[in-house]
Amino acid sequence: MKESMYKRMKDLPSAHLLGTGTPMCAGCGGLEALHEIYDVLGSRTVFVNAAGCMTLLATYPFTPFRGSWLYTAMASAPAGAQGIRDALDILLQRRSITKEEDLDVVVLTGDGAAYGMGLSATSGAIERGLDFLYICYDNEGYGNTGQQYSGATPHGARTATSRGPSGFAGFKKDLFSIWAAHKPTYVATVIGAEPLDLARKVEKAKQLDGPRLIIALAPCPTGWDYEPRHTADIGKLAVQTGIWPLKEYVDGTVTHTRMPRPRRPVAEYLKMQGRFAHLFLDQRGKHMLAEIQARIDRYWDTVEA
Amino acid sequence: MKTASRILGRAFFAEGFEVQDAPRYGAERRGAPIFAYVRAAREAINERGIITTPDLVVVADDTLPAIPAAGTLAGVDDRTVLLIISREPADTWRSRLNLSCSVVVIREDVESPVSEEMPFKGAVCAGGAAHLVGVIPRPTLAQAIERELDSMPAAMIEANLEHGLAAFDQLADHAGAVQQGVGVSADNPRPPQWVDLPLQPAGAAAPVIQAAATSVEVHTGLWRSVRPVIDDERCVGCWWVCSTFCPDGAIEVRDGRPHIDYEHCKGCMVCVAKCPPHAIDTIPEHAAQQADREDHHRDA
Repeated sequence: MKESMYKRMKDLPSAHLLGTGTPMCAGCGGLEALHEIYDVLGSRTVFVNAAGCMTLLATYPFTPFRGSWLYTAMASAPAGAQGIRDALDILLQRRSITKEEDLDVVVLTGDGAAYGMGLSATSGAIERGLDFLYICYDNEGYGNTGQQYSGATPHGARTATSRGPSGFAGFKKDLFSIWAAHKPTYVATVIGAEPLDLARKVEKAKQLDGPRLIIALAPCPTGWDYEPRHTADIGKLAVQTGIWPLKEYVDGTVTHTRMPRPRRPVAEYLKMQGRFAHLFLDQRGKHMLAEIQARIDRYWDTVEA
Repeated sequence: MKTASRILGRAFFAEGFEVQDAPRYGAERRGAPIFAYVRAAREAINERGIITTPDLVVVADDTLPAIPAAGTLAGVDDRTVLLIISREPADTWRSRLNLSCSVVVIREDVESPVSEEMPFKGAVCAGGAAHLVGVIPRPTLAQAIERELDSMPAAMIEANLEHGLAAFDQLADHAGAVQQGVGVSADNPRPPQWVDLPLQPAGAAAPVIQAAATSVEVHTGLWRSVRPVIDDERCVGCWWVCSTFCPDGAIEVRDGRPHIDYEHCKGCMVCVAKCPPHAIDTIPEHAAQQADREDHHRDA
């Protein structure tokens, strides 16, 4: 593989390909990641978008993309990608398009589709070795409809459907490991607040063939309840506290691309978000905080062992 | 607006009216326009859904009339009353929007606690509307605000009461300005407004977008309530920070310097939070627009 062209922040693209004027919320962490990803991927791409916040990116007659976009039902984006890939392959075979005219097929879904409804279709696509890229913007809930919990919601977070004193009782699914267990070409976690790490991973994924899947944690001012200005700061803290490990899976090996040392207490990340405010009120919250911290510590103990 | 409609609906109901109140959800996004409808009548209401000929239109955000998609003036005719929270006087709005109906403004002023602060807008809109319809006494309004905000902390309810009642009092001269409209009769329904679509080839008829990045035609800069302004003296030219972190990609780099695209900057202020030399200032949008106008006049 070629050496990365992204060595320093200065090497990041200065021209932005994604059109402005999208209806995403001010301070959207998913849009932050997407525009950084798009700058690296380039305009020779077809986006296949499952229902979610970013459904509204391309609303006739407006689109921020420079290429085609297909909208599918929530569970079906990887199946839509299969159809487009097949069509492109047929065109290549018939020499209706040249290799240079070929496009990258990119699935774009939120966590509702990626961690839940679309998991089966994704599993099938990886199984068939589909040559595609999957980008999940993970804002840890069904943000488009008012932040109901999803398979990506972290333990203890308050959501529209977890309003009790302890928040969401379940645990965030480990989608990275679920995807990696399928042995695809590439799996990675990224975040818009770490643009250099993100650019290197997208660059690597772009050079590979086969199923390549990327999860971008997407701080969400609306669903997580914080001032939009804190999107990048909260994203940085997600990495520095170790709650969002930046890692990649290639050839059967998982590598952590950032080792947060020393790790900052997770409370610093949680206390910036209204959805965790109840953890800072009483004894019960204190216990839950300690539990959350202990789970993060256990994770990194295994990584560093 | 949902809160405003619920408070107004409660107040009508407490006065013995039949009431419908319903928010209308589109894309639930910060900055996206939100609507809510209230119908009230002494007799049974048979109409349903969107109100097409409103007797009263309440606009909580005075940047909305400029956005066609918000449709704040839809169905307004000569007998409609338009209530708007604004710093501009009613005459300005009448001439700016070319309206012949009556326009009432709730103004933010030093004497009264009516303010444009977001947490109180619901109560302010409901308070103003309650006086305009003329059939809701002050104590009924107060009770409706208290009941609607029941789950909030006492101080928050108190502040909402203060703002809502101040808005009510401010419109004393306009009490009863709203005239009750005539309900739609089932015997004499209005025919639908048909649009004839000629048969066209798929290339023209399908909703296919043929150009790249057409979203730039949408001026999301109108969402902004605060404006980030780069101080060129303090900016050290590390464009990659603000321009990369800007979620909207609304900071362009020209000649190695960042330039904010105000037609599209939504005012999230991520750039202000991330700028290493703290070279980006935060200015209230209305003050920035005022300054722009003054500059424009001076230049002219």
